[in-house]
Amino acid sequence: MGASMSGAVQLDRPEPRWADPARAMALPLLLLVLWQLWAMTLPDITRAPSPVRVAATFAQLTASGDLPMSLLLSLGRVGGGFVVALTLGIVLGIAMGTNRAIRAAIEPIVESFRPVAPMAMLPIAILWLGTGTPTSVSIVGYAAFFPLLLNTMHGVSQVDGKLLQAARTMGVPGFRILRKVVLPASLPSILLGARLAMGVAWTAIIAAELAVGAKAGGGGSGGIGAMMFIFYAYSIDLNGIVVCMIVIGLVALAIDRLFRLAERNLMPWKQQ
Amino acid sequence: MQSLTGAAKSERSVIPASSTVPLESQPRERFGQVCRHPMVTTPLSFAGFLLLWWALAAWTASPIQLPSPPAVFAALWDLAQDGELLENVSVSFERLLISMAAATVLALPLGFAMGMSARVNAYVDPLVEMLRPISGIAWIPLALFIFGIGGTLPVFIMAYVAFFPILLNTVAGVRGADRKLLDAARTMGVPQSRIIRLVVLPGALPTIMVGVRIAFAGAWSAIIAAELIGSPSGLGFAIEWYRELLMSPSVFAYIIAVSVVGYACDLLLRLVRRRLAPWAPA
Repeated sequence: MGASMSGAVQLDRPEPRWADPARAMALPLLLLVLWQLWAMTLPDITRAPSPVRVAATFAQLTASGDLPMSLLLSLGRVGGGFVVALTLGIVLGIAMGTNRAIRAAIEPIVESFRPVAPMAMLPIAILWLGTGTPTSVSIVGYAAFFPLLLNTMHGVSQVDGKLLQAARTMGVPGFRILRKVVLPASLPSILLGARLAMGVAWTAIIAAELAVGAKAGGGGSGGIGAMMFIFYAYSIDLNGIVVCMIVIGLVALAIDRLFRLAERNLMPWKQQ
Repeated sequence: MQSLTGAAKSERSVIPASSTVPLESQPRERFGQVCRHPMVTTPLSFAGFLLLWWALAAWTASPIQLPSPPAVFAALWDLAQDGELLENVSVSFERLLISMAAATVLALPLGFAMGMSARVNAYVDPLVEMLRPISGIAWIPLALFIFGIGGTLPVFIMAYVAFFPILLNTVAGVRGADRKLLDAARTMGVPQSRIIRLVVLPGALPTIMVGVRIAFAGAWSAIIAAELIGSPSGLGFAIEWYRELLMSPSVFAYIIAVSVVGYACDLLLRLVRRRLAPWAPA
């Protein structure tokens, strides 16, 4: 079915489990050592990052409170945009999944906006909302909306027809059917959509903050993306950039694991 | 509540197309089916969207914040006429092709190695899983430092973004190869390289093509960010350039171009998948 593919046009991979930690750590450690050795051959005044200097910069940025503050700001924006996308995506997804006319009316529009990257909407968002937090939040919302909408729609349209007929035959009112039959049955899809949405939302906030910093000048809007841009353009601190990259990766990982945990806890009936 | 599509489908298949259906309801039924056909609903949907947009533009009355559809299509026509649109589209498209090719060349052999050898996988997979959460966008500042502003930066970012889906889907596809077929080929003494070419590759191809499609979607999203921040040409650059000039109709025109090219490429990839792997389930 096309819907399932387009709904999850995102990679979904089970959590990796490595049998042999020694093997697992071999290659990363080797690369880390090579990187450090390479950095030590360079003259002392070099700007090139090295693992030791990156660690020192990380400690310094954490102690000064810059990194935690930026991270909190970015996460707050992601949360705001995500909640908006969650509300719109689920409501519209249920409407499109249950009603064929609504789906026929809205799907072509959704499909034409889907190839448009969140960053392509950024210039419009800047025109409408300026360069502050509302712009970042709206970009996050736009990015997170599509996985949520498509997965909700897919989940709702896959609900067992017999269950619905049974409920209707027994005279269950429409809203109760929605709450007791449709929502639990489509919860796995919705949660998958939420996890994918959160992943793209986190990417989008970095992109938005970077671009706002680069194009609107000053980098006054804050956030971890803007922080990276300041390291690039103003203080030329490559170690700081690498610290931000690692933190961005760790946050993405944490988000993914948290949502998987929620999936396991909210849907005990889905346990394999 | 309206009937759910799943329920409606099974209901219809249950009703036999017999003569018990009253004759006069048949034309109406056919009319209803015609009305529900995508060839009818899709243009209606776009028309509704355009009208809504037009009304909103008239209500906003600010051609910079929200230009009206005619203004945008006029801008699109002008950009297409003087060749600027084609130039930016082809610049972006060329970068896309180069980066997709680079990602495929790197990811395919590694994916085959990881899929076929548990040892290679044990060593390489942790590194892949460590790098994967770091989005391509997060590499932009560092890559700006290394490559400078220009054409290399978007290519690097896109290749990085496209690499992971192709790799992981190749690994999954290779692992999913039919064990019985493999054993049969080995029993008959088929050499390893022929097994890869004639047994593993055809089995893995559908999954790999899905990976290529996901990779394309990611790359097409990343190119806008990369060009917007660090390139003097391409679609992403053009959108931001006209924003700075406050020429909103051109901004919207380029967004339409991004949508059309992205949609066309996805369609093309689906077609290629069907041609390359006709045995795969749709």
